[in-house]
Amino acid sequence: MSYLLTTLTKKREVDSIIRDTIDKVLVLRFGKASDAKCLQLDDILAKSAREVSKFCTIALVDTEAEEIQVYVKYFDITLVPSTIFFYNAHHMKMDSGTADHTKWIGEFHRKQDFIDVVEAIFRGAMKGKLIVSCPLPPERIPRFQLLFKDV
Amino acid sequence: MEEKKKKQKQNHVIEFEYCKVCKLNHNLGRKHKYLPNHIKSLSSFLSRFNNKLSDIRFFIKNPTVIRLEHASRNRLWCVFCDSEIHELNSLFACSNAINHLASPEHLKNLKDFMWKNGGAMDLVDSYRVSESDLSKWEKRCRMLENSDPLANGGACGPLLGPSKDIHNQLISDTKNNLEIYSFNSSNSNSFVPLQSSTHERQQEFPREVHGIAAVGSFLCDSFLPAAGGHSYSYAHGMHGMGEIITYSQDYTDKQHGFLASSGASSVDCSPSNKATWKLKLLNDCGVYQVGRLCNGGSSKQASQSSTQSLPLLPQVSKDNVHTGAPPPWFDTVEEIQLHDITAGVSENGLAPSSRKSVKSQKLNPKRVGAAWAERRKLELEMEKRGEIVNNFDADWLPNFGRVWQSGSRNESRKEFQMEKQKLPEVDSGPDVPIVIQPYVSKRMRKDIAENKDAVET
Repeated sequence: MSYLLTTLTKKREVDSIIRDTIDKVLVLRFGKASDAKCLQLDDILAKSAREVSKFCTIALVDTEAEEIQVYVKYFDITLVPSTIFFYNAHHMKMDSGTADHTKWIGEFHRKQDFIDVVEAIFRGAMKGKLIVSCPLPPERIPRFQLLFKDV
Repeated sequence: MEEKKKKQKQNHVIEFEYCKVCKLNHNLGRKHKYLPNHIKSLSSFLSRFNNKLSDIRFFIKNPTVIRLEHASRNRLWCVFCDSEIHELNSLFACSNAINHLASPEHLKNLKDFMWKNGGAMDLVDSYRVSESDLSKWEKRCRMLENSDPLANGGACGPLLGPSKDIHNQLISDTKNNLEIYSFNSSNSNSFVPLQSSTHERQQEFPREVHGIAAVGSFLCDSFLPAAGGHSYSYAHGMHGMGEIITYSQDYTDKQHGFLASSGASSVDCSPSNKATWKLKLLNDCGVYQVGRLCNGGSSKQASQSSTQSLPLLPQVSKDNVHTGAPPPWFDTVEEIQLHDITAGVSENGLAPSSRKSVKSQKLNPKRVGAAWAERRKLELEMEKRGEIVNNFDADWLPNFGRVWQSGSRNESRKEFQMEKQKLPEVDSGPDVPIVIQPYVSKRMRKDIAENKDAVET
């Protein structure tokens, strides 16, 4: 799916897309094109990119690229695919009842789920909220386990 | 007493002044220059003047002798000094303007303007000519004067001498003159005898008429088409100003004899030199033209130079009308249309942003990163206009709240930077390169210090 959406492989590219996306939600998908789950997510992102284009920009980031490792570390990306949301260069968190509020881990079940999540984030950001709660029912939120760091 | 003070205050408030950047009267005093509208119009005001200066910059780099006929057209309105600079008595193009731009009065006015209108003081240098540039330009002018026989008073009257021994004339010497003669339209007949003697075809360069007044007075029979050649004429409107370009071109012969239309000087290019010479000329004019086309031909000098170099372009294609090539004006018209489109885009480029700003006023001012968005928008606009370069730090990191982080999001960035600093220390601790410096004895250093002291005292 990487040819349908812009794929970033350099830190500078990621920097500039974060800086230049103004008054829109920026969705950064961290992952690799060889992963099946990533492809599934990419498919949903690519299909809904046009529908959310008025309030959202979507870009893929290749976690295997060398220059991206800074961001992989900074964003604590341990599982792929991980989706991170930004608004006006500010990180947007989402409380979805999982261990990690800072990003969405795993794929979305369907297109509408993704659109709902982005919309919730956009609405929250427009009200000045840095964290929003997930609009999806818990059965459609992918589960994962997070091991504590340095333990 | 209090009443008096109040009155004074009122007077102070009511005082209107005219802002020449915004073109409006206001009673805001010094506050006015911080208004976003003022800042916007200031940047467009400055960029407009910068366009005009780019013409002059061209002439600083390539001093050209100016004909008396064109001296009246070659003038500049200095927006900082509110004065018109004429070139009536100058030998070189824009010489008065260049001298003015380098003058201390201009610098003073410029600084005053920047202070009054809130321009950045570091931009001052881009609106004046530095002394080093001036001296370089003067040197070049002197060189030109010495090397160019025509510049020593020949610029006004016809010279018969050089036109006769055209084969011996140096190509480089006449290059600059060609540019000037090419838009001279006074006497085109004088080169006809020459044609018969050299048996060479000629390419007559643009003799165009400028200005609205000239539209009606354009006469097709005012120039002589070369024997066996074809003459084309076309008219096109450009930015509402009637502008007629005529040129006759003759590609039938392989040897392009190049004649300046005045007949005062005529040049013959030998086949070996021709190519390089053409390339040179094309480089000189072409590059400049590209620069001008983007700017939309705002000033008069620009219209001169762009029309002067337009007909040079068809020279590149070797096809002529007999080999079935499209007429040369097709290319130029397309180019002009293209340029109009691009100019339109660049002119309209500001419109969407202003629309956006209207839109952003509707957005919640308390939304996430509102201040950042406003600042960034301004920056982006400036970057578009080329006023600042997008040069952010390579180590820039966005605001991010980490998984294990408690506390503000800025802390997580600091924490990460600490981590990053720690890691390389462990890895590359012993690999720090040792800088080896030559040994300098203390005695020598002392001597030097003493010498310095002695000189100072």
